[in-house]
Amino acid sequence: MNPIDAPVDTLSYMVLGYAVILGCVVLYIASLALRFRHLRRELEVAEAIERDNADEANG
Amino acid sequence: MEPMPKQLKILNWLTIALVAAGLYLAIWYAPREAIMGEVQRVFYFHVAAGWVGALAFLVAALSGALFLIRRERRWDRVAMSSVEIGVVFTFINIVSGSIWARPIWNTWWTWDPRLVTATVMALVYLAYIMLRQSVDDPDRRARFAAVYSILGFISVPLTFLSIRIFRSIHPVVFGAGDALSSGMSSPRMQVAFFFSLLTFSFIYGTLLWHRLRLQHLSEKLEIQKMKMLSAEN
Repeated sequence: MNPIDAPVDTLSYMVLGYAVILGCVVLYIASLALRFRHLRRELEVAEAIERDNADEANG
Repeated sequence: MEPMPKQLKILNWLTIALVAAGLYLAIWYAPREAIMGEVQRVFYFHVAAGWVGALAFLVAALSGALFLIRRERRWDRVAMSSVEIGVVFTFINIVSGSIWARPIWNTWWTWDPRLVTATVMALVYLAYIMLRQSVDDPDRRARFAAVYSILGFISVPLTFLSIRIFRSIHPVVFGAGDALSSGMSSPRMQVAFFFSLLTFSFIYGTLLWHRLRLQHLSEKLEIQKMKMLSAEN
């Protein structure tokens, strides 16, 4: 085949494209998981403080 | 916080299986495009990401409307969760399109109507997220956000129709008239394409469920903090 008629080699761009797409999805899932863990810990601390305050109030 | 529902666990695994199948179809099953080469395969997930963005913003607009009518907090939760996912996938759509464009159009970016309107759409909904963070009162925040999500949705059909209204170098896939113009000259390409749309719809549904649980937890924490503050006072 005449080199000028050969299809362009764009494999590296395909790999980059899929890496970016899947990478962004994975990063977003990771951010959800991290935020979930952080919120759950904060909620546990807040609930513990409320329980302590209630215990103190009841004496 | 309630443990993850069994249905959500099943949905997680089903979505992962669909993604694996979608990757196989896009990378191996679909034939190599004659002119663009391998980079054309990015098209399947690029369009699917754009679809999720549009779907997410539609759900947000509908949820906003339902919140304004019924004043039920859960619709605000759905809107917020959906917008966040929509912004992420619109970003993926724009960046993957840019990667595809580099070898084909010989540029990472051009001021083409489709690219510009898609970017404006992403910025409109990024502003939605910033608007929410700037309002402290939960009821006012939900009302403002609901109105914004309805008005912001104007950007979605504008983005979709931009290549039909204005002169654009971006390919027309839907309503192209013939399979060759749409870039899907082979039935195998069409299978890979529609399967990708299905896969990404499942990704959206799964992520929405997870994000809703996160939003619910966030509101629970907010209520807890307000209780503590009022107890101190």
